[in-house]
Amino acid sequence: MNTHQQTGDTWLSPVQSLAHKLNLDSPWVKHKLDFVMPMGVTIIRELLLALALLFGVSLVVFTILYAAPGDSFSLLLSGERSASATEEVAQSLGFSNSWFGQYSTWLINILHGDLGTSIRTGQSVFENVVSATINTLNLTLAAMLVTLIIAYPIAIYTSVRSATPLNGPLTIFAYVISALPLFWLAYIGIFVSTNVFDYFPLGIGLGVEDDMEIMQFLLPVLILGIGSGTVSEVVRFLKLEISRVLEEEYIRTAKAKGASIWRHGFKEGLLLPTSQIISSKIPFFLGGAIIVEQVFNWPGMGRMAWQAAQDRDFPVIMGIALAAAILVRLGSLVHRMIYIIVNPRASHE
Amino acid sequence: MYTEFSQLPIEKRQDIEKHWWKKIHRMDLLYLCYGITIVSLVVISYFLGAFNLLPFDPEEMDLDNMMVGIGAEGHILGTDFMGRDLLSRMILGIQAYFLPGLLAIVIALSFGSFLGVLSGFYGGRIDTGVTYFNNLVDSFPRLVLILLVVAAFKPDIYYIMIIVGLTNAPVVAALIKNKIQFLKQKNFIESSIAMGLPTHLIIFKHILWYNCRSILIIQATLGMGEAILMETSLSYLGFGVQEPTPSWGNMVQAGSNYLMQGNFWPSTAPALAIMFTILGFYLLGDALNHILEGRKS
Amino acid sequence: MNTAEHLKIEDLHTYFYSNVKRAFIHSVNGVSLTVNKGETLGIVGESGSGKSISMLSTMGLINAAPGVLQGEVTLHTKQGSESLLKGLDQFVKIDIQDKRIISVKKDLNAWNKQVENNMKHIRGKEISMIFQNPKAAMNPYETIGKQIVEMVLLHTELRNKHEAKEKAVYWLERVKIDSPQWRFDNHPFGLSGGMCQRAMVAMALSSEPSLLIADEPTTGLDATIQSKIIDLLAELQQELGITMVLISHDISVISRLSDNIAVMYSGTVMEQGPAKAVLDVNSDKTHPYTQALLSSVPEEHNLLANGHLKSIDGEVPDTIDIPAGCRFYARCKMKHSGIEKQCHHENPPFQEISPGHRVRCWLRIN
Repeated sequence: MNTHQQTGDTWLSPVQSLAHKLNLDSPWVKHKLDFVMPMGVTIIRELLLALALLFGVSLVVFTILYAAPGDSFSLLLSGERSASATEEVAQSLGFSNSWFGQYSTWLINILHGDLGTSIRTGQSVFENVVSATINTLNLTLAAMLVTLIIAYPIAIYTSVRSATPLNGPLTIFAYVISALPLFWLAYIGIFVSTNVFDYFPLGIGLGVEDDMEIMQFLLPVLILGIGSGTVSEVVRFLKLEISRVLEEEYIRTAKAKGASIWRHGFKEGLLLPTSQIISSKIPFFLGGAIIVEQVFNWPGMGRMAWQAAQDRDFPVIMGIALAAAILVRLGSLVHRMIYIIVNPRASHE
Repeated sequence: MYTEFSQLPIEKRQDIEKHWWKKIHRMDLLYLCYGITIVSLVVISYFLGAFNLLPFDPEEMDLDNMMVGIGAEGHILGTDFMGRDLLSRMILGIQAYFLPGLLAIVIALSFGSFLGVLSGFYGGRIDTGVTYFNNLVDSFPRLVLILLVVAAFKPDIYYIMIIVGLTNAPVVAALIKNKIQFLKQKNFIESSIAMGLPTHLIIFKHILWYNCRSILIIQATLGMGEAILMETSLSYLGFGVQEPTPSWGNMVQAGSNYLMQGNFWPSTAPALAIMFTILGFYLLGDALNHILEGRKS
Repeated sequence: MNTAEHLKIEDLHTYFYSNVKRAFIHSVNGVSLTVNKGETLGIVGESGSGKSISMLSTMGLINAAPGVLQGEVTLHTKQGSESLLKGLDQFVKIDIQDKRIISVKKDLNAWNKQVENNMKHIRGKEISMIFQNPKAAMNPYETIGKQIVEMVLLHTELRNKHEAKEKAVYWLERVKIDSPQWRFDNHPFGLSGGMCQRAMVAMALSSEPSLLIADEPTTGLDATIQSKIIDLLAELQQELGITMVLISHDISVISRLSDNIAVMYSGTVMEQGPAKAVLDVNSDKTHPYTQALLSSVPEEHNLLANGHLKSIDGEVPDTIDIPAGCRFYARCKMKHSGIEKQCHHENPPFQEISPGHRVRCWLRIN
């Protein structure tokens, strides 16, 4: 007997009625669908939310640049496609000069992968931004790894061993390295590298990844990983989560049945916090990348953004802002997916 | 390693009950003292700078005494590469972030509480809207957003701090929303409404003042730390305070060339100032959090 | 009646430390209990009386510091008897003044390591536990089937996953869950509270333990489901012949299942004895606290006797500064001028008043 019959519930969800049509409405299939269905709905909702947010992001970016003094905005519309196709669209809609007209023209351009041309170099912004984004992703992901490698042992050690003389010093250590100014740390890194390891880490005429030697890659990664200002927060968050989960009743049950508490606590105590902290710290690392890339001459979004802000190169800074927002939303989307899959309860409530 | 637990005699425990400060954890007390010291140093230095009560003229060059060490020629912290007194410049550097930082805090707190109350108190669609707005703000790395605005408007530091404040607001909003939801769970808000209290009184007095003030104080402290971080980063990148006016960020930047040659101090002194100050605000925020909101475990 | 001892707890002390008050909370203060093979021991007491903590202490499941300090726990298994707290006294140094522990030095990490070592072949294998609030006590991130299979694989000879699954389904059926093959794939959130508790019973029994500790198994469930769970436990205990320790604040739950009953108050056992003797409403041998508990049960005779249900006046005293006299002194209705001084200043001994029936009360001794 299944629960629907028990409660006298005769209503069929859309998927159930579809299953009925496909002759799949065995109780077994229903049972399975009851589980999978809400998950699918939640995933679709998350995707739509991400799209809506990206739409909002484009509005914000456009509005800021639209409100900027000077006629520099028209530069944005001077991409390769603009002359013919896009303006036609706008004109056919009848509002090429209004705010909305310009926005829709611009948005259509973007959706075609056309971010205009750089004022300073005259090159296509899209290609430059894409290659810079990849470089920055390399830097930030590796730096995040460094941060996690520093933070995890501290968090696990201090939360599992409540009574240890190292507890205080480790916490203070995490605080101190989080308060160090990143740019100064970068210089110290360069100094140590040149004077102690006899290696000058600044790539000259960089641009192609293959040219980067291991030191040229490692030093900026280490500096950003240590100095992004997130270590103490990551430690505190992980510590809180791990000790909270270790106090959970189901962990006590796991202990009582002689099972490994780490196996049972892994999902809630390690996997979800990690994915959450990574996704929520992406903006911080992208911000830190601006400084590190500027110091180390790293050909990424950060240095590009800095240069563009210097030159008031609108198409470029706009492209970077969009790319950064896409990265942030992607990270958060990945986290939500992991969360929904790991914790099916979330979509059932 | 043995951990010791010992019971105090009952008279001593009653004494602790009477004085709230005796209940504070030793570590929190340490953080608190350090934080308060830093905050008062910053405030005093701000006024010293504002009234120009500095040991030396911060912009006067003294080419005979370039990069002298600590204590030399009456320069307590030495001089930089142009012979300017580091201490005076560092004191004056506080001008660059102090008032703008306060502005950022005021905006973050007021706008954040506004959003938090909206979403927590009214809920429903408004909550969805506020959540959307918060996610939207969180989508931009703060520095990227600021660079975008810099490119568009070349704005003043105060306008930049408005953005810092706005981008901090979602954090405050989320905390206040959680608190209100917690109060709702305890039927606190329903009972205030049932008692016939006017809405503005419930929101401002009973929610924000009685229940959220500790959150606001803590966030103000942390907000100052972030404002300092932003201002120094921007000045370092060349978008904030410009030479010869000092800011801790541009001092580190200006000294960096000499750092490569082994002259650490002109760059390191302001860097340490940044570190100790930010650390002070963070630790103060943490200690207040533990003291006002209760320490975990 | 078979009276071989199965689990014996002697003079168990579990303290916690309040960092704010800088004082010990005497959660379990010298508890001694005996559980006989094949019988059910019911432990009853108000919340905060230390009944759960004492059983969690025997299982080594106390997280907070300083936790278990001393005591002797002996478990008799087929392989022989085993001391569950062996080798632990070297990790704790206790300073006693005026018969009271005032300072403790404990090597928490080494202690925990040793506990894990002692309990390796006990937890799950010899002693299983079920808890209250089954939805939180079962891992919410995994299907109940997987959790039962894990138990089977850990503690029985079955090594094959397929066989283990069959075994799990068998146990789900045994605890009367409908369509167990399907429920096998449910997460705890997909089940009702009562069904989830059944699943936890299935998990606990699937390793075929000799002792089951049920820690408030019915608390938080609907009244009708409560009685079904109790019936299920009674039935399974009869069929499997396992020993059971049942913890509840509800003396009516206890009275339905127990052969022996221990009444706990403020971290100590006030009375222990055969269910019949302890629950005898008309007896003048039982502890005043037990009598008070019995007269607060919503039953016909209580209503008829008083017109309303009696509650026990006052609250459970905090266990920080325990007065020298009887724990129940402040709330006791039966103290009278003749012995009041004794009650106030001297803690009564745990006196045997009839075979197997012990009471901690001056009234019953004199």
